[in-house]
Amino acid sequence: MSGSDKTWVGQSLSRKEEDRLLRGRGKFVDDIKLREMLYLRFVRSPYAHAKIVSIDTSAAEKIPGVICTLRGSEIASQTQPFIEIAPDPGGRIRDYPLAVSKVRYQGEPVVAVVAESPAIADDGAEAVLIEYEALDPVVDAEQALTDASILHEEAGTNKVWNGVFEYGDVEQAFRDAASIVEIDRMHFHRFSSTPLENNVVIGQWDPKDDHIHYWCNNSFPSFAIQFLAAHLQVHIDRIRVQTFDIGGSFGIKITSYPQMAVCALASKKAGGRPIKWVETRSEHMISSAHGNERTFRDTRVALDNQGVITAITSRHIDDCGAYPRYEPLGCVIWSQVFPGVYRFKNARIDFTQAVTNKCPVGPNRGYSRMQHLWFLERVVDICAHELGIPADEMRLRNYIRPEEFPYTTPNGCIYDSGNYPKMLEMAKQLIDWDGWKKKQADARKRGRMIGIGIGTTLDSGTNNFGQSQIVNPGAPFSGNSQGANCKLDIYGEVVVAVGSCPQGQGHETTAAQVVADVLNINPDLITVRTGFDTERNVHTGFSGTYASQFAVSGLSAVHGAAQKLKAEMKRLAAFVLACKEEDLEFGSGAQGPEVRSKSNGRSINYWGLANIVNVNSAVLSPELHDVTLNCRYVWRAPFKVPDTKKKYGNLTMTYASQLHIAVVEIDGETCIPKILDYVAVDDCGTVINPRIVEGQVYGATAHGIGAALLENCVYDEVGNMLTSTFSDYLPITPVNMPSVKYGHIATPSPHSYSGAKGMGEGGAAPIHTISAALQDALFDKRIFIQDSFNNPDSLFRALRGETCRAKDLVKVERRA
Amino acid sequence: MYPRPFHYHRASSLREAVTMLSQLGEDARFLAGGQSLIPLMKLRFSNPSHLVDLSFVPGAAYIKQERSALHFGALTRHSEIENSATAAMLPVLHDCAAGIADVQVRNRGTIGGSLAEADPSGDWATVLLTQETELRCLGPSGERTVPLRGFITDAYTTVLGHDELIQEVIVRIPPPGSGGAYLAFKRSAPVYPTASVAVQLTMDGGVCKDAVITLGCVGLTVVRSEGSEAALRGHEIDDKAIAAAMEAARAAADPQADMRGSVEYKRVLVAALLKRAIEIAMRRARGEQVEVSHIYA
Ligand SMILES: Cc1cc2nc3c(=O)[nH]c(=O)nc-3n(C[C@H](O)[C@H](O)[C@H](O)COP(=O)(O)OP(=O)(O)OC[C@H]3O[C@@H](n4cnc5c(N)ncnc54)[C@H](O)[C@@H]3O)c2cc1C
Repeated sequence: MSGSDKTWVGQSLSRKEEDRLLRGRGKFVDDIKLREMLYLRFVRSPYAHAKIVSIDTSAAEKIPGVICTLRGSEIASQTQPFIEIAPDPGGRIRDYPLAVSKVRYQGEPVVAVVAESPAIADDGAEAVLIEYEALDPVVDAEQALTDASILHEEAGTNKVWNGVFEYGDVEQAFRDAASIVEIDRMHFHRFSSTPLENNVVIGQWDPKDDHIHYWCNNSFPSFAIQFLAAHLQVHIDRIRVQTFDIGGSFGIKITSYPQMAVCALASKKAGGRPIKWVETRSEHMISSAHGNERTFRDTRVALDNQGVITAITSRHIDDCGAYPRYEPLGCVIWSQVFPGVYRFKNARIDFTQAVTNKCPVGPNRGYSRMQHLWFLERVVDICAHELGIPADEMRLRNYIRPEEFPYTTPNGCIYDSGNYPKMLEMAKQLIDWDGWKKKQADARKRGRMIGIGIGTTLDSGTNNFGQSQIVNPGAPFSGNSQGANCKLDIYGEVVVAVGSCPQGQGHETTAAQVVADVLNINPDLITVRTGFDTERNVHTGFSGTYASQFAVSGLSAVHGAAQKLKAEMKRLAAFVLACKEEDLEFGSGAQGPEVRSKSNGRSINYWGLANIVNVNSAVLSPELHDVTLNCRYVWRAPFKVPDTKKKYGNLTMTYASQLHIAVVEIDGETCIPKILDYVAVDDCGTVINPRIVEGQVYGATAHGIGAALLENCVYDEVGNMLTSTFSDYLPITPVNMPSVKYGHIATPSPHSYSGAKGMGEGGAAPIHTISAALQDALFDKRIFIQDSFNNPDSLFRALRGETCRAKDLVKVERRA
Repeated sequence: MYPRPFHYHRASSLREAVTMLSQLGEDARFLAGGQSLIPLMKLRFSNPSHLVDLSFVPGAAYIKQERSALHFGALTRHSEIENSATAAMLPVLHDCAAGIADVQVRNRGTIGGSLAEADPSGDWATVLLTQETELRCLGPSGERTVPLRGFITDAYTTVLGHDELIQEVIVRIPPPGSGGAYLAFKRSAPVYPTASVAVQLTMDGGVCKDAVITLGCVGLTVVRSEGSEAALRGHEIDDKAIAAAMEAARAAADPQADMRGSVEYKRVLVAALLKRAIEIAMRRARGEQVEVSHIYA
């Protein structure tokens, strides 16, 4: 395609990685078998909250094939507790990878057993005797805040963090309001993502060179090594982390560093033999990470006489489980989307996070923003209904308008671009809104409960890590960066390495598309190395795959590295071809990819260029000695440190948006909610690969529908987790999926070099949308959808008047 | 997790399997599809020292019609029944087989294993109890044939001796004018039903000559709703009769609260499923071809 104007970015290329993955030739950590490898099994607490009275591992250690056991007190004596991101009181929490003197959630690892085979490790684990003394469990965040039973004595309180986010003139807005709507309590439920592949770690602490080597599927390795180096007290360069193909993460695999620590320490104890730990599904469900649960209290909304929201005040209580780990970052990350897609300027959110005797949370897909966006969508629908404004009209009156972008939010975030009214219009058209409205009215006359709901959501991508300073002014983080390397290898192959560890996002393909355009060659000629490897030396402190950012941070780095390489190739080619750099053009010739001189018609192919630099360097003139054709580039996001006092500043670079509409019928006899129609419209700016984007939209839609109707982490009042297997915790399957209509608009981002926006998380639009549709079906029964999770049983109880009565929960004051 | 160590034996005939089990003693178990037993062993809830695998016994899996009955070898997989033209003579068997879990489970799990396991949420017993079903069993002292009614005595408990196995399941073909239906509500494919209902109606014109109605997953064993049967038997099946049958089912159900639903909800659900199953069974009794699928949501 030499000389063609066609660009590779923007095409629906099939994914390069597909061939390998679909043929079962992917390489996952558990495929790796090392010489002398041992296997680790955790003995876990059956109690949610208890003192450890005694541990007896002698019977386990006598089992032939058991090499050693490891317990928390041994770890505490040779390590530092993990870094806490929180300031005091949360900062005083001491978190070790095995429980030391007490356990704080059911499933917390207490002892590790290391053996010659996984089955012997299980035998050993069964033979460990631990005596506990039960303590009062706390499973509710609001109750935890009474401090009646304290999880972490060192902290002295269950409160991890509290802060007030206040902007504009709230009091004035309430004084001027035409009406005020009050909502007593809403709750966003705890659920998780269930990647096909559980956590897997192989760790080796080699006594020969005192290096630690990890083969693992952690999805944010640069974060993990920072935590591990400080904990294990080793030079960070001595920790090598490699990742391979990863069978899903959704953020849940970011917090696997405690298990990584145990594998290294166990390896050390076992004389340096590599240790493999493969998490079981039940272990994953009870103790990997869950998503943040959040309760919204005492919400007050001021509106003008047009139904335009002028102010919101509310108290939000976030439940982070037993250990904060990545938290309390979630206490600020929600504020990336502080006003959601709406224009209100005045708000006060009092945000508190508490520990409870439940599995620690991790940054689950849609992390911390989806909870808040769900809250806002509920507020909008309830206000609309109470004021008699149709849900679509209410949104049009309150949406940020297309001409207002880039839009600065009350807390200083800059929404790059968007067009919410257009998305709404497209979604309404695709689903035949008017047709459904008629059908709904007819059905209602016959006693059927059909609801039509809209969910508008944002997927903010590429974080400003400076927001960590809003939760802890002492936190040494800000900005964001990503590294990439682009080289011509000795025989002229184009090889790209990125500091990301994709889990199905297609990075090999999109990175190749970007480089193909820079060099004007076919993407098939480009090898992309993904999967993290500290020794490839491309990563920065933010590298990994999380938080909807590869399209911006990853591809900007790839683009930068490719341009750097191209600049070097130009200098070299101009010298070899004896022409000016401006005369050169890139393309493909009879001998493969090449650089040609337009002035003298001579050309040199990539092999020729690479040959000179690598193995034929005597022909180089000295002024070209700095040319390596091996170019590392670090892309940095143009952020400033936020004002931590005012909690003000730009927290994210891009804002992809999604608008979904669902039509849901609740069966009058069985209370089973059935999705009759569904549409998803997305806007992620300039699209790099439409097929990949569409795939991500379907995936996120399935994930969100699952979360809304099927997936719920349930604990009983003493902290037993009741949903630890796939018989009780129900990840969505194809039989539960409606067929989804898909629509797309593109408002290019002015903030990224390509106009693209991160979009992988999807903003959990289906959760908002299904809640909205159920609410719409039930408004006339004065039932109020209070929870983000609804199943036939909960709808049954609501319909019987046992729960969710609007008269107890919603109050409206009309003044004008 | 991994099971505790155990010995694995492969029987070459059912008779040999019985002998092996007798000799190996109380700590030995038959292994069929392994879809109930192996998960329990992996969780170490069940820890047999010996497994005697029936899967390699030649001729233990078959589906055939003999005179007025369908015969199923105990080792017949759910998926074989799902795809069998012979079994399709009784649509209710297809309703059941096609709706058990997912493809992987159906490809391994067997009808014999399912009945022997007597899981309170298992599908087969609920359906087959609406049919005239007999089990041909083989033990150390020879063969015996036992009716399915009375075979399951409690949750996970049957009349089988420890070293006795199910060899064959015999289902009598109902007379013309009789139709059955099986309907379950399952939250997703790999999950046992929240509740299920099986109905067999024998009609004489608009009047119900006979009805057999069972409720699944709402008791420690399958619940036979005789009140519902009485509400239909001898009557025209109209809204009133159906309402009475539903009311009786609500009362007969004795469910446990769990992650699949509360006690009250399961009662209401089972009644609603009954209504739909009656409608399908009536249409089938009239000779209509009706495809049904469980409800997933
Ligand atoms: C994820 C999952 C979901 C499932 N969902 C459902 C569902 O929705 N509905 C449903 O009905 N089932 C379900 N099942 C269970 C499945 O149907 C099993 O196949 C069935 O319960 C047992 O049959 P099996 O052949 O696998 O028996 P096995 O597991 O091999 O054996 C079960 C028990 O029966 C004994 N046994 C086996 N064969 C015989 C025999 N011929 N004579 C005497 N004893 C014998 C064994 O010793 C053992 O005690 C599910 C299973 C799984 C793993």
